[in-house]
Amino acid sequence: MKTFDLKIVWTALGYLLKAAVLMIFIFPFLWMISTSLQTFRETMTFPPTWFPASPKWGNFAEAMNAGPFLTYFRNSVVVTGSIIVLQFLIMIPAAYAFAKYKFPGKTLLFGMILLAFMIPGQVTFIPVYLMMADWGLVKTLLPQIIPFISNAFGIFLLRQYFMQIPEEIIEAARLDNASEFKIIRKIMVPMSKPALATIALFSFVSHWNDYFWPLVMTDSAAVRPLTLGIAMLRETEGISNWHIIMAGNVILVVPILLVYVFCSKHIVKAFVYSGIK
Amino acid sequence: MKSKWYTLLSVIMLFSLLAACGGGGTSGDTGKAPGSGGAEAPSGDKGETTVQFWHSLGGKNGEYMDALIQRFNASHEDIEVVGTFQGSYDETVTKLQQAIASDTGPDVSMLERAYVQMFADSEVLEDLTPYLEGSGISADDFTPGLMGHSVFNDQLVSLPLNRSTPILHVNKTLLDEQGLQIPTTWEELKEVANALVVKEGSEYKRYGVTMPYDTWYPIAMISQAGGTFFNDDNTSIGFGDNGVGAKMFAYLKDLQSTGALYYPPAQDSGNIVNSMFVEGKVGMMYQSTGSIGGLSSAVDFDYVTAFLPKDEVYANPTGGANVTMLSSSKNKEAAWEFIRWMEMEEEGGLEFILQSGYLPFTKKMVESEQIQELWAKEPNRKVAYDQLEFAVDTNKDVAWPEIMHEFFSAMEAIMYDSKDIPATLDTFKKETERILAQ
Repeated sequence: MKTFDLKIVWTALGYLLKAAVLMIFIFPFLWMISTSLQTFRETMTFPPTWFPASPKWGNFAEAMNAGPFLTYFRNSVVVTGSIIVLQFLIMIPAAYAFAKYKFPGKTLLFGMILLAFMIPGQVTFIPVYLMMADWGLVKTLLPQIIPFISNAFGIFLLRQYFMQIPEEIIEAARLDNASEFKIIRKIMVPMSKPALATIALFSFVSHWNDYFWPLVMTDSAAVRPLTLGIAMLRETEGISNWHIIMAGNVILVVPILLVYVFCSKHIVKAFVYSGIK
Repeated sequence: MKSKWYTLLSVIMLFSLLAACGGGGTSGDTGKAPGSGGAEAPSGDKGETTVQFWHSLGGKNGEYMDALIQRFNASHEDIEVVGTFQGSYDETVTKLQQAIASDTGPDVSMLERAYVQMFADSEVLEDLTPYLEGSGISADDFTPGLMGHSVFNDQLVSLPLNRSTPILHVNKTLLDEQGLQIPTTWEELKEVANALVVKEGSEYKRYGVTMPYDTWYPIAMISQAGGTFFNDDNTSIGFGDNGVGAKMFAYLKDLQSTGALYYPPAQDSGNIVNSMFVEGKVGMMYQSTGSIGGLSSAVDFDYVTAFLPKDEVYANPTGGANVTMLSSSKNKEAAWEFIRWMEMEEEGGLEFILQSGYLPFTKKMVESEQIQELWAKEPNRKVAYDQLEFAVDTNKDVAWPEIMHEFFSAMEAIMYDSKDIPATLDTFKKETERILAQ
């Protein structure tokens, strides 16, 4: 009887702890949403208001009208979408080769890939910019895409995942005369969906939110993503209209939440599976 | 499940194709986009000259700047100005540096005034003197207090545009309640600020005065106490050996110790002090003139502005940005026409100044009916202009951006960590001398 009670106490404590952690993570979101519905006067009050007297939905319209937001949105979608697709096209065969093939220089090559993901973007942006300017690409979306089509972290993670797939399955497929491409498409990819979903999500979030790279790589609003459009809502000097900026941020975050909802099932699986093995 | 993935993949694939096709032509179909600098690359089929103009104005001021560009384009058939927001002042500087290096720079750019020296020193800015002469404009036509960063090596390399200055913002209602006068000297400021303090237990419910975490305000006070930021030959600081720096920081620390001064945390300090002022948690605030418009619409008390209190003299630096022409520009005549129009024409700069609340930058503008009417209606804005009589810009050197970081460290050591003032300033002085000697 006594142990039973203890179990309840522990479960309750566990829930409390989870709730506390949840609050820490969810707080900025709630704050953002609350601010996006306030009036200018309300954003200035101290202590801050949590619940706007009457929600101002017009803030969203005002944020949208502050610039060519549809263009920004489309640019964000095209850039992030292209990056993910191209990354997959390169990453999957690369990870397959590293996981299942034996060839000379394999360790060295893999080491170089690991090195690649330790170099921060700020170190390479000037040479990359000069290269892109040389090719006449700065007025296009390409400088935001090309540098990211190889994803070192993705190759690393996917290789680990592929290595767990039993050799026997591949051997069996080869006996059935399946081509390597078919093996990738019919066996490797379907069996590593959780890992792919995780990589896609990480990649999506980081490129969707990227501010620095598009800022330095682009010169005109026509090729700029949402993050830059929202940065433009902020005053350089004077008083910022936080309610409008936050409305912009909500617009920026919604697609991330949608993608997360779509991928979350696979991501949970990825962690559960890797835990078991 | 499998088909879902393929659908997703093919959708994304479509986007990437779009991106690839959109390469050169993406700019074409955004022409309908409203506002924000209409960034479409003009085709030039009307024989138009395109002038690229980079600026750092977001929010409302960004909209006013876009409107200015549209007015220009509407009145000039043969010139098309393409205005592009390039992030904050600092980010614009980074972009300019890399763009100049790769020869993809704009024709005209906004440049925060303290960076003018740095670019002028690299000889990438066009000398505007012949252009002024050609258009019958004299350098004396501009507001004198705003020309402190425009001349370098006898070349006029920039003209004032969106310029501001620090000013004292006062909650007159609070002062009146206590029967206090607006302070005009450091001594008075100390008395008034202390009288405004409300303390319950160990917690301050109200402070006297506050200022954002910025070098601007200490620089103002250095000049007020009779010092300069750099010495005359720019080899060291001009507020070390004469004791001005120690006096100024000791004064601030003294105010801070009684709650008379609220010194905000570094992160987001401007917004913190603004909202404390609006809420009446602090009676007075050192802050940019750029805040007047926003504060007027946010406060529900009698709000006035005043000169920054003097010590030995009235003094204040200026801020904001200038406009400059890049010597790499291939369309200099058109670029100059845009600068000239923006600086001199009524529907150019004057309109922008009236909307944004920045300081009028030509004498003609100051005398204009519109500005006179505005000042009659909003005396707070006139105060900012009047104070320009005492404008001194002493932080002029190509190494300023680097030294600024050191000065921030010194300010942090003193204001946050209460480090010994003379020792900290001594370290700062040595660091500055080292940088200036390079």
